[in-house]
Amino acid sequence: MRASYCLGLLLTVLLGACGGRQSIVLVPDPDGRVGRAEVITAGGKRLLDKSGDMTQVRSRILQPSAVSTAQAGYLAERFGEALAIEPPAPEKFVLYFETGTTVLKPPSHEVVNQIVAASQRRKAISIAISGHTDTAGSVQLNDDLARQRADFVHQLLTLRGAEFKRISVSSHGKGNPAVPTADGVAEPRNRRAEITVY
Amino acid sequence: MAYYSSMTFLWGTGIMKLLFCIVLLLMLPAISTAAGEAAVVGHIQTLQGSVWIERGALRLGGEAGSEVRQGDILRTGKPGAVGLVLLDNTTVSLGSGSELVVRDYAFQPREGKFTLVMQMLKGSFSYVSGLIGKLAPDAIRLQLPEATIAVRGTKLLVEIGD
Repeated sequence: MRASYCLGLLLTVLLGACGGRQSIVLVPDPDGRVGRAEVITAGGKRLLDKSGDMTQVRSRILQPSAVSTAQAGYLAERFGEALAIEPPAPEKFVLYFETGTTVLKPPSHEVVNQIVAASQRRKAISIAISGHTDTAGSVQLNDDLARQRADFVHQLLTLRGAEFKRISVSSHGKGNPAVPTADGVAEPRNRRAEITVY
Repeated sequence: MAYYSSMTFLWGTGIMKLLFCIVLLLMLPAISTAAGEAAVVGHIQTLQGSVWIERGALRLGGEAGSEVRQGDILRTGKPGAVGLVLLDNTTVSLGSGSELVVRDYAFQPREGKFTLVMQMLKGSFSYVSGLIGKLAPDAIRLQLPEATIAVRGTKLLVEIGD
């Protein structure tokens, strides 16, 4: 009797000291894929791996609640505001270059026009440019070349009147290839700059 | 012992106070530079109502294109909502009365360095994973007041009750 009273008191104190309930729901991403998420507390963990899987956390010392399925009405009520303000999917473009240079391949000139048009139509907030190379040549050479390609695209877009509030330019060197290859392989599809218009 | 007593004496005369203030003043630029150097991790893409960014003692009104730096507190009022895009195309949107901090962020594909640690402190969130989710899914942690979420490439909705 006394022991259970103490336990009850202890639980009340512990739970009372905690913040509000936290709810976590797994939903499909914009491409329709469902990944997985593991919700972890000091008391245990729960795996969410199906669309609509939901768990709730009331205290850091308790295991998250058994996985249930979230109802559409609940999601609309609780997440309507956050879902309505989700940034629209960006538009992505790829420009290809001649080997070892910042010279665009002829078909890519038309893509430059498309990028400029997209930036104006969307009244773009941000444009991100990343430069890439294939795996032929030294790391230093590829880092520099990827940087030069990205800088070139930055200048070209500015010159053509692309619209943006911010721009970010990065060099990936031979990292993050479009087509993974062994080292030292000349691969035209990896000699590129990727442009994302937000 | 003699050292302490002479220090106390000097402090009493005000000389040490003066020296202390001078040292503090000299350090100020260094302190503010260090605070100003937190890396940009993303930008505000969409917003509605009141949205602001707290950076140390600074409180900045958010607008489309505002940069968000590591350690900034991104807050929404009531009503207020904001959509944030990180450099790797991870997006997080916040409903009203929400608070988010990007605590630790690295997106360096050339070096293969990826980290994303976000604190969801209060409110409602929609999280959609980006390139870090593809390239290094184990590098992502969402920290809630009483739980941690390890996310592997997906979309999650998170609500933190009052």
